[in-house]
Amino acid sequence: MFDYHAIAPELIIGVTLLLVIGVDLLAPPGRKYLAGVVGLVGLVAAAFPLLTMAACSDLAGCTDTGVRAMFDGSYVVDDFALVLKGLFLLTGVISLLLSVGYIEKDRYYEGEFYFLLVASVAGAVIMASARDLITLFIGLELVSGPAFLLAGWRKGDVRSNEAALKFFLMGVLSAAILLFGMSLVYGLTGEITFSGIRAGSAVVADEPAFILGVVFILVGFAFKISAVPFHFWAPDTYQGAPTPVAAYLSVGSKVAGFVGLISISYLAFGGVAEIWGPILWLLAAVTMTLGNLVALKQTNVIRMLGYSSVAHAGFVLVPFAMAATFDSAGMEEAIFASITYLLIYAFMNLGAFGAVMAAVSKSGSGELPDWGGLGRYAPGVAGFLGLFFFSLAGIPPLAGWFAKFVMFKAVLQASGSVWGVTLAVIAAVNAVIALFYYARVVKTVFMDDVPETAPVDEAARTPLSPSLALALGLTAFMVVVTGFFPQLLAFFGDAARALTLGP
Amino acid sequence: MSFGDWITEAQNIVFLVFAIAMLFASVVVVTSRNVVHAALMLVVALGGSAALFLMLGAEFVAWVVVLVYIGAVVVLFLFGIMITRAPTGRDTARLDHERRWPALLIAVATFATIATTTTLAFEDTEVAGEVVRTAQIGDLLFNRFVIPFEAVSFVLLAALIGGIVLARKDADE
Repeated sequence: MFDYHAIAPELIIGVTLLLVIGVDLLAPPGRKYLAGVVGLVGLVAAAFPLLTMAACSDLAGCTDTGVRAMFDGSYVVDDFALVLKGLFLLTGVISLLLSVGYIEKDRYYEGEFYFLLVASVAGAVIMASARDLITLFIGLELVSGPAFLLAGWRKGDVRSNEAALKFFLMGVLSAAILLFGMSLVYGLTGEITFSGIRAGSAVVADEPAFILGVVFILVGFAFKISAVPFHFWAPDTYQGAPTPVAAYLSVGSKVAGFVGLISISYLAFGGVAEIWGPILWLLAAVTMTLGNLVALKQTNVIRMLGYSSVAHAGFVLVPFAMAATFDSAGMEEAIFASITYLLIYAFMNLGAFGAVMAAVSKSGSGELPDWGGLGRYAPGVAGFLGLFFFSLAGIPPLAGWFAKFVMFKAVLQASGSVWGVTLAVIAAVNAVIALFYYARVVKTVFMDDVPETAPVDEAARTPLSPSLALALGLTAFMVVVTGFFPQLLAFFGDAARALTLGP
Repeated sequence: MSFGDWITEAQNIVFLVFAIAMLFASVVVVTSRNVVHAALMLVVALGGSAALFLMLGAEFVAWVVVLVYIGAVVVLFLFGIMITRAPTGRDTARLDHERRWPALLIAVATFATIATTTTLAFEDTEVAGEVVRTAQIGDLLFNRFVIPFEAVSFVLLAALIGGIVLARKDADE
């Protein structure tokens, strides 16, 4: 019989989506935030089946433990999927919290915004379980489709229009490339499930069309995770889109891209790692370096965070870059490192965007020079900024150090490999470069003089919206606690090793 | 197989006719100075691809191409041209682009790569020739692929709602 327990999260999100539309229809003007509350409750409710599945062996009446494969292995719920579904739901919750005050204040369309955000999260949740080409592609479309629209939500602003259009055109182009690669792989192996492709790939591994297919799939995902040289849409889109949307794009949609990339390259193309390993090596090195160097020159803080998130995508790729030389234990280590990095990155980047939103609302500007002396008239906001930016830089005892630590450990495990050491050196140099621009923000905020134009009195009178404060508190708590007790998130990273068990 | 043998088989002649018609139509789509002509020629090109799918025994895909691409997408193009009052007559300036030569170069290079690799890979592969019935696809769609199917419906719903919001003229604008 059909395993309803395993797809309960998806079903709950589906019902939530319809409820959000219904509530938006019935709610009187001025109370449209209720639609957001419904979305929030729905996402939290969808997390409960994840917990019951994870703890299944300890529950009475729950017999179906372990990997749950459905639809001939097309849709698999294992510990890897559970961890990432949980992360996506949490990202959705925090993004909603960031949005509520922002959207309400500027009187944008509210109910529709929440609907699209939750729909995008639903796509990410599906991607975590997708184990065939069709489900993976459709999941990715459900992640990006609503995101294109959200990026253009500030209709009256030319920048927002530009953001949406650039994102849309790049997204469509990458989807076409991805799909063409998938069609080549399907045509040669005759299989759409990852396990089938893996079994069939040995015969066709030397076929140029197969290599082209794998490369096209990588390029398609490289657009999604905004790896250099496919990154140029990201900073423009982050800057133009409403800031909560930029936060969601830099975490939710990016992690979804990574999940697709990791699951397809490990599960479907695990036997031909010598094709994609070197490509990822190159992508990782270029992405880190270019992202960080360009971020150095930015004065707009959101744009800077855009380039910083490009650079972080490079760091996440580092453990996989040496895949061609790894045995199965090495791959497991790489999955652990990348997923742990993503978990930590999600919290600190969402927090950083939240802190930037708070700073923009206090100082009335997104340009770094205007933030001078923010620490004097808005010490709380400045404190959050310092916390998240130092964590992004990887300074102990904040969570970011552990992400960097597992990344270096995973890439250096192939001891004696010149390429692995080279990449680790490049990553180390980049970590130092990144410190410059993160620290510059903190220095401006705490040490520079307050510019004369700063709205000091007004800042004191405008409190942060409660939902934004809650989001900041949540992410700050996670960043600090994980910094001291890295086992907290490493536990989930460990669980993600289940990907290697296969369906 | 020599070209003489190849051309004597009936299905190859049919293929050749469709392929030449598609090629001609596709060139006109890009070079035509008239947007409406370009859209209509796209119908011919897509119709040709539907015919090729029919020849391969994929009747469902063939009719999806006709219904969705010709029936909906191209008609949408024409409506779009009409409603936005885009220049429907001859308009040379706005349909040209100064970077047409680099674009041509990349297009030709992409074509050469894809054509070579796919021909090398599938050169001698026989097409099984079995016809997949639409009923079978329906069964698959609502059993094995029910999750992607439902996900697509949410993609469409999201596109609908978001499209209306973005396209709508607000009172205060």
